[in-house]
Amino acid sequence: MSFLAPLFAVGLLALAVPILVHLVHKERKETTPFPSLMFLLRTPYQHSRRQRIRDWLLFLTRALVFLLLVAAFARPVLDRTPEAVATASGGGRELVVLLDRSFSMRIGDRWSRAQTAARQALDGLDAADRATVVLFDDQARAVGEAGSSRSVVRAAIDSARPGDASTRYAPAMMLARRVLAESRLPNREVVVISDFQRSGWDLTEEARLPGGTVVTPADVVAGEARDRAVRAVELRRAVEGGRERITVMARISNAGPAARGIDARLEVAGRVVATSRLDLGADAGGVVTFESLAVPETPQRAAIRIASDDVPEDDVLHFILERAPTIPVLVVESGTPGADRDVYLQRALEIGQRPAFDITVRRDNQLTAADFAGKRLVVMNDAPFPSGEAGRRLESFVRAGGGLIVAQGEATTGRSWPGRGNGLLPAPPSETRDRIGGQGAVLGSIDRSHPALALFGATGSGDLSAARFYRYRPIESDSGVIARLDDGSVALAEHRAGSGRTIVIGSAFDGIWNDLPRQLVFLPFVHQLAQYASGYRAGRNVHEVGDAVDLQLSATSDTSAGLQYVALAPSGSRLRIGGTLGEAALIPAEAGVYEVRRAGAPGERPRLVAVNVPGRELELARFDPSRLTNATVGSEATGMAAGAAPEPDRAAREREQSVWWYLLLVAATLLVAESVLAHRLTRGRVTVGHGG
Amino acid sequence: MSTADRTIELAKGQHEGVPGRRFLDPRVLARIDDLELVARFVVEGFISGLHRSPHLGFSTDFAEHRQYMPGDDIRHMDWRLFARTDRFYLKEYEADTNANFIAILDVSKSMGYGTTGLTKLDYAKYLAACLAYFSHRQRDRVGFVSIDSDIVDFVPPSAKHLNQVLHGLDRAEARGRGSLAIPLLKVSESQHRRSILLILSDLYEPADKVRDAIGPLRDAGHDVVVMHLLDPTELDFPFEAAGTFEDLESGDKIPVVPGRLRQRYTQLIRDHVAAVEKLLGEGRVDYVMVDTSKPIDDVLFQYLLRRERLQTVR
Repeated sequence: MSFLAPLFAVGLLALAVPILVHLVHKERKETTPFPSLMFLLRTPYQHSRRQRIRDWLLFLTRALVFLLLVAAFARPVLDRTPEAVATASGGGRELVVLLDRSFSMRIGDRWSRAQTAARQALDGLDAADRATVVLFDDQARAVGEAGSSRSVVRAAIDSARPGDASTRYAPAMMLARRVLAESRLPNREVVVISDFQRSGWDLTEEARLPGGTVVTPADVVAGEARDRAVRAVELRRAVEGGRERITVMARISNAGPAARGIDARLEVAGRVVATSRLDLGADAGGVVTFESLAVPETPQRAAIRIASDDVPEDDVLHFILERAPTIPVLVVESGTPGADRDVYLQRALEIGQRPAFDITVRRDNQLTAADFAGKRLVVMNDAPFPSGEAGRRLESFVRAGGGLIVAQGEATTGRSWPGRGNGLLPAPPSETRDRIGGQGAVLGSIDRSHPALALFGATGSGDLSAARFYRYRPIESDSGVIARLDDGSVALAEHRAGSGRTIVIGSAFDGIWNDLPRQLVFLPFVHQLAQYASGYRAGRNVHEVGDAVDLQLSATSDTSAGLQYVALAPSGSRLRIGGTLGEAALIPAEAGVYEVRRAGAPGERPRLVAVNVPGRELELARFDPSRLTNATVGSEATGMAAGAAPEPDRAAREREQSVWWYLLLVAATLLVAESVLAHRLTRGRVTVGHGG
Repeated sequence: MSTADRTIELAKGQHEGVPGRRFLDPRVLARIDDLELVARFVVEGFISGLHRSPHLGFSTDFAEHRQYMPGDDIRHMDWRLFARTDRFYLKEYEADTNANFIAILDVSKSMGYGTTGLTKLDYAKYLAACLAYFSHRQRDRVGFVSIDSDIVDFVPPSAKHLNQVLHGLDRAEARGRGSLAIPLLKVSESQHRRSILLILSDLYEPADKVRDAIGPLRDAGHDVVVMHLLDPTELDFPFEAAGTFEDLESGDKIPVVPGRLRQRYTQLIRDHVAAVEKLLGEGRVDYVMVDTSKPIDDVLFQYLLRRERLQTVR
């Protein structure tokens, strides 16, 4: 018998534990906390009674339990019989073929050469050998598990096609490692068939293959690659004559000799709306700018296309043309405002395009339930809690996922917000506190890890503590604190009510209670609070294959949570996403435009998701294939003779025998016996004490 | 009586009858929630009991003259100017108004121990708050660092930072294992201006390690003051019942019969105090042993008296 993890034998030192327990047996259960045992430990202390081992049977039981535990963790392996050894050493090879099917394998004849190389690797197999084919791009999938018939594996290679995803080597290597680790064959080999793109290099220690594995790279690239591609698009928005217009710019790369007069077309909803021409240098890139165009009312699919070359799939870049995102905001002011008190907040919200804020302003005494329709955020700018139906509507608005910002100024009192505004505030508005005498209070502690203030976390991104607060209402709540003033009182806090969020600031936006509106940080501060409270998530016009596209409408709204969606892929296949199937996130595998609808609503206008080939996959720079061998094969592999009994073989035997399991079982049984024994001995001793 | 015994007895308050003393029970102060109020209460009351304003800081470069106010030290009186003008003027010195004072507070778990109604950490907070307020009053810049085995919290020294220092002190909680070397080295590397550094700790490290940890601060030219805070039970070990004692920082437990090792323990802690005092004294570091059962202004008085004596020597 031998051990797989003999270092655990060090655990035998733990045998000292039962000895110490028996020698230094404590009479008292409770402990006395003491600052440091530094001096107590230096004090020589002996107790004659405690140096005797009193219960030999108990001691031996405990020692045996430790012995069994140590033996179990050392993973014992029973030696094999000579016959079994002879059978296992008869040869055999475990072959794993890693076949790159990323987008770059479409270039030239790379894919056909890759298929040929894979077939050749399988041709060299004997009857005792086994093979697995792993197709990989940014994910890895075994198409012929070890043990499958050769014809099945060959058919898998013949039917495979390169996709639109990028290259990553680590998932493929880790899958190969799993296959090899489970194998009991003495010889291991991995054949990597790829174009060895440098952008796909992500190998770490975790991708190391078992010792003794032979890695054979098969390079399928012949000659220099020639490919022109539309790499990126940029949309510049402007408002002209009250209409939003967009100027589309695209970056086009050229791998190969110089090309002149390249035509680029801008298509919207399938129609060419603008063209442009540019010259490209050898192995260089250029930018093409199209004439500005009016933004359509509804989102439209758009594309930039150049003349096709050997790889037509990257000669087009898809994107979605749509209006700038807008957050509808209802700003509620006090019915009796002071001059210019409301101007700061409104002006701050009026500025900004991504997202823009569509502002509706109401006095609290004019507020109706209809004012909340279609809004995503309500700002109570020092206004009392609405009475009657409007108040009930505000509560239901927030609990259903809407956002609320409450600035507590003169008009926000405990009386004007009864019952914490029906539970929408974390605490009732407190009494005012004045710091007029000095230089005012400043924000002393700011939680810059909070999503609403994360923008200010970086160095030089705005100094919130520059603002002076001369009068404020401390928020008397310790939960959801975002910022405190220098006297420790809470100045900004978050509160959750139902599915919605409330952000409370303990001062007003009027420029009198504080000078925050006159600070540079005011504009981004208000925008960040508004975006966070409304649950706004910035959408993207362009995605890449492999991205996770969140299909939920907003962060807080529970109206979109738990819904199931149907996505129509560019190839025509349908995908069901979300609901009971998991997260409502589309992970596109093809380039093109996906149409996403809610399940069971076929007439609904679809949400368009434009997906393109990942930019890094279009970087055609390569690495030396021999680096793969160095990075994936451990140093212990060098010099190991083929056919020698490798370490993983013992590991497999150990898994098969599972001796540790029986040892643990015996140890557990002994522990139960120890408990019973210890209980009886203790009881016996107490009885004797009383009797005596 | 050995040096350590004298130090401990001094800390226990055997200097009755010293003028200007008032006695503020720390347990009474503990009922006041506002740290600034405690500091103001102690310092203002303390100063009003003295016959003149105490001084904590450097005095080097002459800056300007100031009219004499009752309580000012007459040693700084400009007699020549008096002869010419028949009015009393004091010479003021540059460093009087812009010295750095940084309280370095050990917040390791052992500081969370206390049997007198408040913990060593609370006591240290009061001391730090009082001396910070005191320094601020004489227009020094005040700062604050809390440490365990690393820097936990840091308020850079500034003339406007008293509130931040008090807030930082108020927020400090006992946590983690303590070790002086690394955090004090960081403080030494970060503070290039000559400062008064007040270290408040229970110094549960070998004396030579304490000296090695504090040495770089003194070498960098700082004026270092170490206040060694110990609870009376740490000094006298008055426990009676045998039981398991648990180390607050490491969680280690050992069985102890207090009666058998009290004598040896008290000897060891006295040796430790003596060794720390000797080694720090050799390094010209001020050392004050603080018994946390004693009034705070008592400690302040001893400390300021001692610094004043030292300043006249230096």
